[in-house]
Amino acid sequence: MNFSRKELIETEATMNQMRNAVFHLARLMEKNKIENSKETLRKMGQNIANTYIQYWKPTDIITLANLKDVITTIYQKVLNSTVSIEINEIEEIVNVRDHNCALCKYKYEDVEIAGCEILLGLISGLINLISKSTSSNTSLILKPHEVIESRAYGNKSCNQTFKYKIGKV
Amino acid sequence: MGAFQWLMKKITKVFGRSTNALFYTLLYREILKEVNNITNNEEESLIILREIGRRSASESCERHSNIFKFMPGNPKKVLDYFEILWVVVFGTELDDYTYEEITKQGSKYNDYVLKINKCPICVDYGHDLEDTFKFERIKNKETEGLACGLCGMLESVANYILKVKRSDYRIQIIEQACITKGGECLQFICKIHDYKEWKELLESSTKEKEIIRTYFKETLEGEEVLQETKLDIIDKLQDVISIDKLEEYLDEPLESIKEKVSDIIKDKLNMEPEHFFDYFRNYEDDMIRIIGYLGTHLLNEYGGLLEKFLKNEWLAKIFGYIFKQFKEMTLLFIPLDVIRDYNSLLVNFLDGLAPVEMVDNVKRFTGKDTITYIFEGAQMALQNLGIDFSELKDNVWEELKAERENGLISSETSTIDRTREKVPQIINIIQQFLMIFNDILTLPIRVLISESHYGLKTAINSVVSEEEGLYGSIRERFDNIFDQIQEIRK
Repeated sequence: MNFSRKELIETEATMNQMRNAVFHLARLMEKNKIENSKETLRKMGQNIANTYIQYWKPTDIITLANLKDVITTIYQKVLNSTVSIEINEIEEIVNVRDHNCALCKYKYEDVEIAGCEILLGLISGLINLISKSTSSNTSLILKPHEVIESRAYGNKSCNQTFKYKIGKV
Repeated sequence: MGAFQWLMKKITKVFGRSTNALFYTLLYREILKEVNNITNNEEESLIILREIGRRSASESCERHSNIFKFMPGNPKKVLDYFEILWVVVFGTELDDYTYEEITKQGSKYNDYVLKINKCPICVDYGHDLEDTFKFERIKNKETEGLACGLCGMLESVANYILKVKRSDYRIQIIEQACITKGGECLQFICKIHDYKEWKELLESSTKEKEIIRTYFKETLEGEEVLQETKLDIIDKLQDVISIDKLEEYLDEPLESIKEKVSDIIKDKLNMEPEHFFDYFRNYEDDMIRIIGYLGTHLLNEYGGLLEKFLKNEWLAKIFGYIFKQFKEMTLLFIPLDVIRDYNSLLVNFLDGLAPVEMVDNVKRFTGKDTITYIFEGAQMALQNLGIDFSELKDNVWEELKAERENGLISSETSTIDRTREKVPQIINIIQQFLMIFNDILTLPIRVLISESHYGLKTAINSVVSEEEGLYGSIRERFDNIFDQIQEIRK
């Protein structure tokens, strides 16, 4: 009998080739004039979240109080990354710094997109799906904002940002 | 599983960047879906995904080419080590599979069929709303299945090994059965072609070439010819040291190893062993230092891992302290009889290879001298590789205290917490290395006793069984060390 997706959660896989594959896909999109490849990568992350949530979720309720812990847990459990997170409550922006991004490592001269655009879709997707299932006045919705820095752009680490909103979903 | 097969798998796993396997599988699915959004043709999408897999693996191999130089260059052997290919590509163990050889008349090599009962790519495919790539739309029964991208990666790694080993053969790996497509298991057929046949095969696959040209806006990348550039030490050694050959050496007694060393000196240096060792006559102490020096550098040649490891200031210091500890422990605590055993082993090794006068000079060394020279050589090599021994304190605890007083460790709570979390793993690694050191100390007497009757492998595995003997013990400790490194890397 084959594995189940639930079982895969307990297993690890090496990302080296898949990380390269993301950039080959980016090249393919560019050569075939696919517009807005950034949005496409984020949508891929969102689709991953739609399936992933059926097998694992970090918590049942997400508020501003536990947002940092929730994001840290997702990065750790899904991507094996230890990240540092800052929340700017005035601008309602979450800033995640990942020194060992699972999807970016090398700078490519011919690709102008960061692999971690996928993670923007994944993280916001997982958080929004949890918030939708337990909608309350303190629920939190996360929207992909920007990859400010990336190892794929030649920076030392990846810096991913999200916009958040509090309120009934 | 052979020792080097195991080591190769461990190194690949520990130093690769891993994520949760479900994330991997879902990302793979999304890449296929996006390719299909571009082509709007399922059959073409599978060909493109395979090509993406091939290019991705080839890119990785180019970055870590030295590791593959230790793989065997014989295509059949490459397939024997299929488990390693799987670990290189996917990162998890390949278990629950069968392997069948299909006789191919008139050909030097047969075909091989691998049936893998648990496919990490097909898992539960089709049960989720997001599983939108539809195999039902494909009319052509000859197409590959969902694992075609993985298949492209495996083929690429296998052929990269054959390329760096300058083999005249190439391997074609085709996905014959796919669980998502209704197959009972994931099935690959591996066909070995000579280089001419392989080129013809690539030339003849016009449909695939056309599809790749259409979407990648370029022709199928021809296999680049390996330039005859300046050979590094691994290139020179790869003919004699590859994982299959090392397994053979372990099966053979000391005399056979001496014969092999003698052949290497004759073949590679074009001189008689006695003539070669004669260069070191009256400089025997330097020769022993060179053994320690070259031994350490040779260890580093294994993918440059040691050097990469020592680039990190902290790891270099930890390694330096472990080395100092070994050096001091050996001279302070190891019984002289044990050290003498090592000396006898060296004398036995040189006897017959080196001039009599030189062997006599080495016999005059005490065991303590030999160990000191080896450590001196190794220390010189480690200094080259990045350990600044002059900066090391008397012991590691003083170092930790000093770092805190200097404020070099960040005052940010989370960083300190993370560092503290790693302390148990670091201590465990040091402890495991010390235990391995103790295990190894029992080796020479076993080799000397078993030499005339059995091989080195017998000595290593002596006591009860492979699992419970010295080999099993060392392997278990290294397993533990790799696990701890993996924990730290998280």
